[in-house]
Amino acid sequence: MALRARQKIRAPRRGLTVTKTDDFETNWKDLSSSLKKIHTKDASNLSFEQLYRNSYNIVLMMRGEELYEQITLLEREWLEEEVQKRVTAAISPSLLLATHVDVQDQANERREAGERFLAVLKEAWEDHQLCMGMITDVLMYMDRVMSTDHRKPSIYVVVMALFRDHVLRSPIRPDTQTTVYDVLESTVLFMIQLERSGHIIDRALIRHCIYMLEGLYETITEEESSKLYLTVFEPAFLEASRKFYQAEGRRLLETGDAATFCKSATERLSEETERCIDTLSSLTEAKIKDVLDNELIKNNIAEVVKLEGTGARNMLDNDRIDNLRSVYVLSARVDSKKTPLTTAVQRRIVEMGKEINASAIAAAAPSSAGKKPEAGEKKPSEKEKPVNQQTVAAIKWVDDILGLKQKFDNIWQNAFHGDQVMQSAITSSFSEFINLSQGAADSRSSEYLSLFFDENLKKGIKGKTDSEVDTLLDNGITLLRYIKDKDMFEAYYKKHLSRRLLMKRSVSMDAERQMISKMKMEVGNQFTQRLEAMFKDMTISEDLTSSYKEHVRQSSDPDQKRVELDINVLTSTMWPMEIMSNVRSEDVQLSCIFPKEIESVKQSFEQFYLGKHNGRKLSWQASMGTADIRATFQRSNGKTQRHELNVSTYAMIILLLFNDIPAGESLTYTEIQAQTRIPDHDLIRNLQSLAVAPKTRVLKKDPMSKDVKPTDKFFFNHDFQSPFMKVRIGVVSGSANKVENQDQRKETEKKMSEERGASIEAAIVRIMKQRKTLIHSQLMNEVLTQLSARFVPDVNMIKKRIESLIDREYLERVEEDPPTYGYVA
Amino acid sequence: MTAEPKVLRKDQLEVSLHNEKKLIKEGTIKDDNPLDLSEPFRELCNACRKGDLKVCQEKITEGVNINARDPYDYTPLILASLCGHYEVVQLLLESGALCERDTFQGERCLYNALNDRIRNLLLEYDYSKSTDPLQPLAAHITSLLTRETPRTSDIVVTAADESLHLHKFILAARSPYFHSKLEPAPETSTWRLPNTTPPEAFGTAIKYLYFGEAPRDLRSGPGTGFTESEVFAGIDKIAKHLEINTLVDSILDSGDRRLARQRRTMEVAKGRDQLEQWFQANVLKHKVTVETSKADEVKWDRDNAIFADVLLQADELPEDVEAEQADGTDSGTLDGRVPMSTLFPCHRAMLLRSEFFQTMFASPFREAHMKDHLNVINLDCSPDVLEIVLTFLYTERADFPLDVAVDVLFASDMLFIEKLKTKAAIVISTLGSGNMSQAEAARTRGTKEEDDLDIYAIIRAAWLTRVQRLEEFAARYLAYRLEAHIDSPEFAELIQESASRIQSRQETDSIELLDDIRFYLGERFRLRFDDAGIEEMMEDATQPAAGVEANGDVEKVTEGVETMQLSTESSLPVQAASKGAEQAVIRTLDGEIVVDEFDQDALNYQILMDKLDRILENLNLDA
Repeated sequence: MALRARQKIRAPRRGLTVTKTDDFETNWKDLSSSLKKIHTKDASNLSFEQLYRNSYNIVLMMRGEELYEQITLLEREWLEEEVQKRVTAAISPSLLLATHVDVQDQANERREAGERFLAVLKEAWEDHQLCMGMITDVLMYMDRVMSTDHRKPSIYVVVMALFRDHVLRSPIRPDTQTTVYDVLESTVLFMIQLERSGHIIDRALIRHCIYMLEGLYETITEEESSKLYLTVFEPAFLEASRKFYQAEGRRLLETGDAATFCKSATERLSEETERCIDTLSSLTEAKIKDVLDNELIKNNIAEVVKLEGTGARNMLDNDRIDNLRSVYVLSARVDSKKTPLTTAVQRRIVEMGKEINASAIAAAAPSSAGKKPEAGEKKPSEKEKPVNQQTVAAIKWVDDILGLKQKFDNIWQNAFHGDQVMQSAITSSFSEFINLSQGAADSRSSEYLSLFFDENLKKGIKGKTDSEVDTLLDNGITLLRYIKDKDMFEAYYKKHLSRRLLMKRSVSMDAERQMISKMKMEVGNQFTQRLEAMFKDMTISEDLTSSYKEHVRQSSDPDQKRVELDINVLTSTMWPMEIMSNVRSEDVQLSCIFPKEIESVKQSFEQFYLGKHNGRKLSWQASMGTADIRATFQRSNGKTQRHELNVSTYAMIILLLFNDIPAGESLTYTEIQAQTRIPDHDLIRNLQSLAVAPKTRVLKKDPMSKDVKPTDKFFFNHDFQSPFMKVRIGVVSGSANKVENQDQRKETEKKMSEERGASIEAAIVRIMKQRKTLIHSQLMNEVLTQLSARFVPDVNMIKKRIESLIDREYLERVEEDPPTYGYVA
Repeated sequence: MTAEPKVLRKDQLEVSLHNEKKLIKEGTIKDDNPLDLSEPFRELCNACRKGDLKVCQEKITEGVNINARDPYDYTPLILASLCGHYEVVQLLLESGALCERDTFQGERCLYNALNDRIRNLLLEYDYSKSTDPLQPLAAHITSLLTRETPRTSDIVVTAADESLHLHKFILAARSPYFHSKLEPAPETSTWRLPNTTPPEAFGTAIKYLYFGEAPRDLRSGPGTGFTESEVFAGIDKIAKHLEINTLVDSILDSGDRRLARQRRTMEVAKGRDQLEQWFQANVLKHKVTVETSKADEVKWDRDNAIFADVLLQADELPEDVEAEQADGTDSGTLDGRVPMSTLFPCHRAMLLRSEFFQTMFASPFREAHMKDHLNVINLDCSPDVLEIVLTFLYTERADFPLDVAVDVLFASDMLFIEKLKTKAAIVISTLGSGNMSQAEAARTRGTKEEDDLDIYAIIRAAWLTRVQRLEEFAARYLAYRLEAHIDSPEFAELIQESASRIQSRQETDSIELLDDIRFYLGERFRLRFDDAGIEEMMEDATQPAAGVEANGDVEKVTEGVETMQLSTESSLPVQAASKGAEQAVIRTLDGEIVVDEFDQDALNYQILMDKLDRILENLNLDA
């Protein structure tokens, strides 16, 4: 029973008992001879099963370790005896020369020798891989046992390491330190050197040798980072490349052409990428690019950008978009700020901006010297001719800047890939030169810009489509963005706007409103508040006029010959008062004397208006008004010619004087002045336009001259000729479209600084009310930030305002160190 | 198992149970746990209650449905986990017992698990392994469609302008159409299907034949040139053409996940059966037995009727022939019998499932060369073992008796077939545990029982084939029967061997086998100590000097437990055990008289531990 039971589970059939020791020898003999056959490529008749069984048996005998050792030994011998000899035999002396070979013949010879050597090495490696693959297959069982039970590396790893040590790292001759690997390295580097200088090499061959280095590891655990390629070859390659590109950078700089530099650098980059893919390993791609970035680009880009005649400046001037793009791409590789390029671009923008400024000033100069006063007077209504050269200069200035902006936008878009850093650099340079001119006494960008709008809104947009108008306004707004002192612009704009509104010079109210809303979007609500109020006044006045007309119709006799009245009631705080009256020095000036017809209308309206709005005060601005009068000219031949004249209010008053005197009589300047009390300034100009301007000589002047003297006599000119029924007689002062002269500007600036002072004080008080106490520097900062949207306040001015507020006991000094202020409630 | 698994609330479970029952009633899905009142199933349930590994294994091999339930709604898995039989739970799970989260029965298993060890085991299976046991086979066959090297396809089937490289034996096994067409003309190397078949339908059908899953949605509509209904009609047509009538159903069912899963399980099982049938009828039927010396002369034409492309040869060994000759290891051929060999015609496509063959056929060695006649490959195992191996490779079936288990173990180790190796280990460790469960064996203190397996051979086999499970099994086996082995020189030799294995590893200073034996010895005796709830008793007992005194202290406390044990257990083994124990006492301690069985255990434990130490001393080993 016991016997049978034992039989139920048998011991495995063989291999368990340790009796068959001699079997190791026979098995190993079979195995080793077969392995040798594998090496000599005589394996096709070998049986996998047979070899597997041999190794399996040995392992089952518990002698796997011995087998492992034997295999290692066998392979080592094979590599040392056969492979290594074959490889070293292929090394010809020319390969051992120094890396740089100048003579062409030698280079060729070396290259051929190198290719021979690489081919032999490659073959040895591939054979080794193949054989080891087969051997590992056969030893599969051993491998598994050894790796699980004994924690030994796979036999494949071991034989690969053997190849590394006994082939690659063996000296090429017993008496030298130079190893096969050294030769391999120098040969491959030499080949790459050849390729860099334009020769064609056998890339695939090198690639295979690199595969070998990638397949071999420093350690037995085969970490990714211990590949021979990474530990030995790559550093050498990078070092060689570094040297090469240092030299290359110098060489390219010496040629002195920025475009060429960029072109070659770009080519080198793609060349190296290609090399990494085709010849070396993609692992190196990032690293070699680093080398290129550092050695070729970073070290040289600044100089390239600066290169005289071919650098960034030249490219910008000639719109070399392609070249700029490559400069940009290269710069972007090494520096996210692209410092050299941005500096160059900025400098160039400022330079070009300054040129524009200078040319604007130059264009304006001659006119302001002499021509100006007459220009407006002579041809006030001729729009096709430049009214004023300065105005034209202003508009040209804006156009030029827009052109410049266009140019750089284009470059930014196409060459700089819409880069953020570049954009802000460009913006800041524009703003720099635009405001640079602002600071200097000669510049007036705010005014120019406002003039630009004025000009366009008055005539420029005639016949343009909506979208064109839109673009035009947008362009202007873009410039507005650059202007720091927006309050200045506002002041000018207001002035120009008021003239357009009052004199009905605007082409399209839609465009005006559009403009306002654009500004609102760009600068903010506060900025456009007053402008909008002006529009509001205009609409209210329209209603007022019609309701007044209604009132007149109902209250008085319809048949009475009344003067019709169109009235604009303006809120004095919203409108720029200085342009409406010549109240400059003499504050209390008597208003002019209106003829009685007019006076009655005036009184009637005042009654009507004050009846509606209690407590308001109306002050009449005769200088801003116009009148339509019908004039009858008695020709000498007895005929009567009627003309409807559109004249300024003052001119109307003057002309009405002639109604009261007999025909042929004259009035002197002094008489007119006495009877009307029109301010000298306005009177002269009105008389000039009535008597001097060639096409509108409703009056005759004696003596006939340009200047008006107090003794001059004026006659009604019955021989007035005009091809038109309606004649418009402009006044010099009506030409709003004009750059201010020095005095006017001083005036504006004075006003401006007063206004700014008020804004600053308001800001200070606002801040202090909120903070109660604040250190001086913090207060400064807050004020500056609060006001920066409108203008850049002068620090001294802020200090003065603080002092003044302290004097007026809004603030008090709380502490001296650091200086701190407190709010006095 | 770090994170505490989420468990459904009871009401949620009841809802899902209700829904499930409804679906089953409607016939939409199959019941995962059908009621089973048969005698074999009852036996299985009992074995699970008792923890009888051997019976469990036998019943599973018989084909009892291990996922059925008894009249009280218990499944074998629930019973085993409730009664705390870790090994049985493991066996059931390995054999495909379901423990699926979010099903009523699955949650019951978890709730009922006696201890955390079993609970974690269940969870582990649910999450990682509760797949179809046939999945590896199906996956392999599907992969044949795309596998490039080594080339195994022997027929190109074309429909319209799409050609696929396929395998004649799979086509013949799976499709009656191909079976009837190919059998009379085995040399066929190309085949055309009607040109009107949409490529999508053709691809789907072929994939189906290759055990692939039915596609979720058919590629049709714009770009393919066929509308969905056309593709569907095409599938219907090709299914009829190739006589694979279940294809359409499985595509229709692919919408619902659970339905699709059940359908797939069924399909794979059916496919396996077809393959098995074909394998039996062709491969096994065509095996030839010749004299070993003439085996090389067997020439099979490449175009044979069963499409085999390789011949595997297994030599019969003398001891196989002469089973009765007990010690005939070296002189088997002396009586003049001619050694015989069996040749199996096989398909490399299937052999590739073994890493050994895969490497072989991909290598440049002789076996991989294609010649006019089939290569004969000699394998180092007996014909019946090779048959088991082949059966496994073709059909995933691994049912073999204990007596070849060790051979199968070695063969599968040699051929790198891990699953079969595991299976062999399972067979040995379950069936080999003797006619009683481990628990019972534990109580048979020292009986000289019938020893039906050579445990020393097993343990050496375990070492050689590196099967941890088997090493543990053997250690446990030895520990539970240590009295019978401890004094034999063979045992000492084994310890020596184990020690020498360790030396070559230079990992630790302990002897693995001895540690294992000590561990299981502890387990064996601890059974009692733990029941009494006195942990410190164990700690004392492990120290030889203090052991005896400690016994006296706990005596009174454990008496109650003692009686309980006696009443629950059948008296026979106890008596037998006590007899053995007394012998041990008399042999080792001078005049020490044991008062009761409990004392006796403690002393026995002491004695055995001492003996182990002594063996170590004799062998000059440190441990």
